[in-house]
Formats: sequence, structure tokens, C-alpha cells
Amino acid sequence: MTESADIAVEVVGLGKNYGAVTALKSVSFSIESGKYYALLGPSGGGKTTLLRLIGGFLRPSAGRVYLHGAEVSHLPPNRRPTSMVFQNYALFPHMTVERNVAYGLKLLRVPAGDIRDRVDRMLAMVGLEGYNRRMPHELSGGQQQRVQLARSLVLERDILLLDEPLASLDARLRKDMCLELKRIQEKVGITFIHVTHNQEEALTVADRIAIIADGELVEEGTARDVYETPDKRFTAEFIGDNNVLEGAVAAVFDGRVALDIGFAKVEVPAPPAPVPTGARAAFSIRSELLRIAGRGEDMGASWQVVPAEYVEDVYLGLTVSHLVRLPDGTEAVARQMSGESDGNRFEAGQEVAVGWPTDRARLHLA
Amino acid sequence: MTSAADNSPPPARRSRELPAPPARWRRYLGENGIQRWVFYIPVVFFVLFFAAPMALTVVWSVFERTQFWMEPGFTLFAYDNFFTSARAENYLYSMLHAAAAVLISFVIGFPIAVFIRRRVTRAAQHRVILLFILPFMISELVRVFAMRPVLGRHGVVNSVLMDLGILSEPITAILYSPLGVIIGDVMSFLPFMIFAGFLALEAVQNYIFEVCDDLGAGRVRLFADIVLPLAAPGIFAGSVFIFVNSMGVALVPTLLGGPGAVNAGLIANQAIVALDFPLAMAISTIMIFTLVLLLYIGHRLFDLTKILEPIS
Repeated sequence: MTESADIAVEVVGLGKNYGAVTALKSVSFSIESGKYYALLGPSGGGKTTLLRLIGGFLRPSAGRVYLHGAEVSHLPPNRRPTSMVFQNYALFPHMTVERNVAYGLKLLRVPAGDIRDRVDRMLAMVGLEGYNRRMPHELSGGQQQRVQLARSLVLERDILLLDEPLASLDARLRKDMCLELKRIQEKVGITFIHVTHNQEEALTVADRIAIIADGELVEEGTARDVYETPDKRFTAEFIGDNNVLEGAVAAVFDGRVALDIGFAKVEVPAPPAPVPTGARAAFSIRSELLRIAGRGEDMGASWQVVPAEYVEDVYLGLTVSHLVRLPDGTEAVARQMSGESDGNRFEAGQEVAVGWPTDRARLHLA
Repeated sequence: MTSAADNSPPPARRSRELPAPPARWRRYLGENGIQRWVFYIPVVFFVLFFAAPMALTVVWSVFERTQFWMEPGFTLFAYDNFFTSARAENYLYSMLHAAAAVLISFVIGFPIAVFIRRRVTRAAQHRVILLFILPFMISELVRVFAMRPVLGRHGVVNSVLMDLGILSEPITAILYSPLGVIIGDVMSFLPFMIFAGFLALEAVQNYIFEVCDDLGAGRVRLFADIVLPLAAPGIFAGSVFIFVNSMGVALVPTLLGGPGAVNAGLIANQAIVALDFPLAMAISTIMIFTLVLLLYIGHRLFDLTKILEPIS
């Protein structure tokens, strides 16, 4: 038990079917206690199903859920140490803010005086002091989500589940609420599991991120790991702005893999797993690491350089994206900060070279 | 209507068919005058078919009775007639029976509405609701009359209960009695409670029920604290519908009530048959005021405007 005491959530071979439709294949992973954990993935990928299985809103078709070492697969939501914050419109519309937050405690038959104290404390925590008598429809979307947060946190359960809690807020508010959520999580110190399809949101709030797609756990790691050194090709395509090129493994030698991408041979750092020669493989390189130079310009020994044709630049505010076409017709993107305008020296159709630091590319086996 | 649509020139063919209205009309019709006036059609309709008849009902109720019709004047004779005869008492009983019908309809109908909202697949919900409209396809006369062979001395209910040995002799209290009228009213108007209750519950987000699971609200608390308050406007609307119909539809007591059974509608009917039009109008006026009073009480109890505010 001492070993599992630090693990808040452990799911083993968890699966869910709706008739012939598989929402979640066999997923196994665990979440450390007190961490802010994000389940990130495209819509319909199974991340909400996974969250609902953990919360007890769905019964698993296969596998088990352990919360703090105890099996809970058969327990209803209120008998689990979890509480859920829903997308939106989940406040009781006919109750004031105060009654919404107090309702769970009332069901637990907590004495009225205690309820009032705990509700006030929780409303202060989420920044809604003095909103006790407001009705939900008098609140903004962000405030409504804060009330939901208070309603869940006031129960003092150990694991908070958040199902796309910021999905219906506008971009500016979502950013503020992300930071607010992180602050609250650090303050209360319980485990947060946050489902989102928004990578920026996940990167902002989470200590660790799990990528969920097609009913499977694709990859799991710290926010930095997942962004900078994605293991799987899917992760590279989903998070950040990566260029992915396909090829065949031509040779493997001292820590490098030579990849034949058709119009050129490039070197990519070898992954820990053995790479068979001749296998189909892809590598990814983040767009902000790509650099464009004139043909024949020297980039340095530790750079991989391939020929390309300049297409256009797209101004995106903070960054400028430069589009180039590679000899096989695929397009690649090089991003740079808007201030560094030296990239604009190329014209459409001009023959250029694109390069990237060799050790920053990652190989993905099919 | 978008401004782009306003600015675009009308198609040429149409302008040939419709010559420009004379200048003095243009003031009222303008460029898109007809569209503007279209919005007043409901108002005209309301005044013509709703407000005016009600006002006339009240006015005619104080007219002098003549042998076959009535003539202008002011007399409270009809009201005096109503309140000093057995009619007032019958009217109160009619309200009582209507209230009983509402109560029974709620007890039977609202759980059906909850069941459809909570247990039937979303896609099938409206189809199931549609099933409850089917009885309305049958003439009300036939529907109510069909209760006779069901509830009668040798009817389905009695013969089944007697064949099962539960009864030794038939119950006669369920037909040609106030109970028969209440059963008939519930039979006829129950769907209103199901429709109104379901529509109110349909506006409640599924998340609400999941939150209750999360917080651990049992069935009783969920019903009392969440479902009932959120469905209250619907329940009230359905109740008013059933109450009004139970009081006003003369058919049910006529067919199922037996001797002496009346409701407000039947009392008014009898007055018309007796060619006492001011009395019929007075009874109708009293019905109108009864209803307005009920709506006012409902408003004070539930604060209807507040309950009907957008739920979000």
C-alpha cells in the first residue's frame, strides 16, 4: 500500500464500447497524487470517455479503475474520491450561487453553520466573494465555471475531474482561467485531471500530459517532453507546429539514422529502440527550428540541409510563417518571431535551402 | 431581414405586376410597408377572436334578458340568479373535481414525462411523446363515450375484478358519479400534463442530472430539489390546461356524470338551452375571473416571470 499511496489514479486495460462502436480501447496508465494532469486529444478520441470512466459516470466494458489503490470500477460517482466539473450549463439554474455550492454539503448532512463557512471560504478561493445571492444566469461564462469549481472543491474529495471546463469561454478568458486553475490546484494540492482538445490550454495548466486519440493512449509525459521530444508521429503532428517528412531507413550508425527521403538523405538522431534498416520511418522537426537560407549558403556542420523552393510568408502576429516547397512537392513551414524580418529577403519561386539542427529532429517509426 | 435585402432593387418582373402604390398609401406601406404591417396581424387576430369576445361576454352578462335573446341594459340579475341558486354550489364542486383531475393527472402524468426524459433514448423521445397525441385523433365524444362500457356495472373493469375474485359484486361508484367525471377528465386531458412536463424537463441539461449523481443526490432529493422546481412552470401550465378543460368541457359530465352531475361548462350550456343568454354569459364571466385569479395565485406562488427567465 505504501507504494501505491502516491498514485491517485491507476487504470488497467480500461475499455468502453457502445454496441459496435469502440470509444476506448485497452488503456493503462497511472497518475501521481497532487499532480495537474491533462488528457489532450482530438474530439471523439476517447478522452472524455476515459474521464467519465474514472469519475464513475460510465461503467467500463473492460478493465479496472483504482483510485488511491482501491478498486472503484463498480462504485457510483458520489462514492468515489472524485468530483467532476462539467463543460457548461451544469449549475442548478434555480439556485443561487450559495445554494449551488452548498447543495453537496447539504446532502451530506453537514451542519448549517459549517456549510456557510465552507461555502464562503470556497467562493473566496475561486474569486467570487460576495456573489452568494446571484443566480447562475446573472453570471458570465467564466464566473459560472468558477461556481462549478467551488461546488466540486467544497466536497474536499481528492481528485478533481474537469471535462473541457473552458471550452465555451473566449480565448482571452480561457487564458486567464488556465492560470487561475493552476493557481487553485497548487493551493488545494489535490490531483486535477483536465480534459481538453486545446494544446495551449493543456501546456499551460498541466504538469503532465497524456495524448489520447482513437481510443488509445498515444503518449504520456511532462508538458515539455511531449512538446519538445514527442515519441510518436501523431504527437508531433498534433502538438506544436511540426514538419513531418517520410522516408526509408538507409543505414544506422553511431547514434544516427540515415533516412532516405527521396530527394535527399538526412541524418536523424537514433531513438533508444533498435531501428531495422529498410524500415519505413518518418521524422519531425518543429517549424521554429527550421531555417531558410540561399542556395549554397553554409549553415554549419551540425545542420541538415535540403533544397527547396520559396512559396510565401504568412504574417501571424507574434510569428511569421515561411512556406517552402520541397522537391517532392510537400510543403514545409519555417516560423520565426515577427521582429526578425530577415526572412523576407526571398521571393516566391526562388530556389532556397532549408536546414535544421541535426540533433533536434526526432525519428518516428511507423 | 438584412439591410442588403432592403437595398437591393426589386426584380423587374415583379415591379411590372405590382404598380407602385399611390402616394397617400406609401406613407403607410413605404418601401417594405407590407412586411411591416404583417407583424400586426397577430394583434388584430388577438383582438378580434380573443379580447373582443371576452369583453362582449362580460358586457352581455349584464344585459336584460328577453324571451329569445337579450337587450342592452344593466342588471345584475344573472349574477344574482347564479349565486342564489344551486349553480354556485355546483360551480364550486366543479372546481373541486377539476382540482382532483389535475392532481391525479400530475401523479400519473408527470412520472411518465420524467421517465421519457430520463430513460428513453434522446432520438426516440419525441416519437414516444407523439404516441400520446394519438388519442386526440379520435373524436372526443367517442373517446369519452367509450368509457361507459369500460367503467359500467358490467364493464371491463368490474368484470375483470370479479373474474379475478377480487370483487364479489360490481362497483357502481365509478360511472354516473363525480368519480366517473374525474376519471373521464383524467382520461381526456392527461396528455397535457405529459407534454408540458416533458417540454419543461427537456430544457434541463443532462449535466444537471450527472452533477446530482456526483454530489450523491438520491432519487427523492433529485426529484424534490431539482426536477420538481425546474419543471414547475411546465407542471403549472399543464395544470391550468387540465383545470380549465375539466371545468369547461360539458361533454364529460353529460356522458359519465349521471343525474345532477355538472361542471361549469354544463351549467352554461343548460342556461343557453333555456335561452337565458345573460346567465350563460355571467357564468362564462365568472369562469374567466376564476382563471385570472388562479393565474395570479400561481404567479405569486411560483413567480412565473422569474421561473420562465432563460435557463443558462
